[in-house]
Amino acid sequence: MRAFEYFTATDSKHAVALLAEHAPARIIAGGTDLLADLKSSPSHAPKTVVDISRATDMRKIEVNARGLCIGALVTHSEIMASKLIKEMFPALVDAAHTIGAVQTRNLGTLGGNLVTAVPSVDSGPTLVALDAQVTIAGPAGKRSLPLAEFFVGPRRTALKQDELLVEIVIPTANLDKPAHFLKMGLRKGQALALVNVASSLWVDAKKNTCRDVRIVLGAVAPTVIRAKTAEKFLEGRVATPENCAEAGRLAVEDARPISDMRASAEYRKDLVAVLAKRTLEAACVQARAMKQKGARK
Amino acid sequence: MTDVTLKINGETRSAAVPPETTLLKMLRENFNLTGAKLGCDVGDCGACTVIVDGMSVNSCLMLAAQLEGREVLTIEGLATPDRLHPIQKSFEDCASLQCGFCGPGVIMSSKALLDANPNPSVAEIRDALAGNLCRCTGYTKMIEAVQESAKAMRGRKSERVA
Repeated sequence: MRAFEYFTATDSKHAVALLAEHAPARIIAGGTDLLADLKSSPSHAPKTVVDISRATDMRKIEVNARGLCIGALVTHSEIMASKLIKEMFPALVDAAHTIGAVQTRNLGTLGGNLVTAVPSVDSGPTLVALDAQVTIAGPAGKRSLPLAEFFVGPRRTALKQDELLVEIVIPTANLDKPAHFLKMGLRKGQALALVNVASSLWVDAKKNTCRDVRIVLGAVAPTVIRAKTAEKFLEGRVATPENCAEAGRLAVEDARPISDMRASAEYRKDLVAVLAKRTLEAACVQARAMKQKGARK
Repeated sequence: MTDVTLKINGETRSAAVPPETTLLKMLRENFNLTGAKLGCDVGDCGACTVIVDGMSVNSCLMLAAQLEGREVLTIEGLATPDRLHPIQKSFEDCASLQCGFCGPGVIMSSKALLDANPNPSVAEIRDALAGNLCRCTGYTKMIEAVQESAKAMRGRKSERVA
């Protein structure tokens, strides 16, 4: 690695001040993406690195008036260990578990995973399926935008040079919303997704119809995308395996995969249909289980 | 230069390093602890695995400066001059290593696993070792060794209680 100057931020405010003072700087949190990048592409060498790994205000997992707030510095291992997240959104735990391996999950953060913004970002689909918002801090204060709009291209986000992603918020209306995540890689450990899919929906207790359907695809477009044709089809329809399968088939129309060394575009399209169907079915199963739990109360 | 003071294998150590120095480089070059190996240098192979504050990490992916005030355990911190750690003993007894380059990393990942989960299933062991690549052994004997050392360590604990 080439030489750089190094500053440690004590909290998010301090980090934003350091970013303004030493622009253009790169941010290090878990370091799993940044250091790998700086080693393999020496030309990316920054003049300054701001270390935010000690910004304690960015480590919280809590439910408040805005919803479930996950600090950008929460690691993938911490998501897997969080009782709160496991109870509300087991899909987020499943997604965290598919990232890297133990060592990288212990270091790597949710915020870092989103900021790197590769098309196969494993944290992305479930959070987009839950209408997550991101909070961004900059010199002018904080702003918030949907995660779906945060991703603007491969390895490109809506973050400006002097801004910092501080937290991810799943809105109150979506707390406990049934959701499921699936990823297909070439092997179980340390694999990039050929395709990853997350779905979420509510199922009407009386009519058994689907509402607020989200079907979100990763690794089949420049960014994480919603399969809106498929979502529209399933909205208001009865939650049956046949309808889930049809939605899966329709999701293929929204996918724009490429062929690369890992898989052909055709294979990725087949995966989209199967994974979308399975995530929808699993979300329906969760919805029914919730209904029973509710009925027992 | 950045000054770093941390605890390594129970001892407080200090070094002045350029900010771009990784934890791995500092361990090997400043402290002459060459057990953790430089393999891929990008977090794929796990040969550099050490334990920081109880968690296994790739030491090639941390800046030394990030270790200020923290506690590191390396493979050199496991054995005493006259006795191997039970995990090392099991790896030897089960003939789990051939060339040995991946060994320190695999053993540190196993240690982190057994500290958190004294009775892991085969699936949990595989998951814990997924970040450690070995090109000699095919892993089967390593999994056996982790199971054997888990047994040995559980036995040792109950003896202590008794």
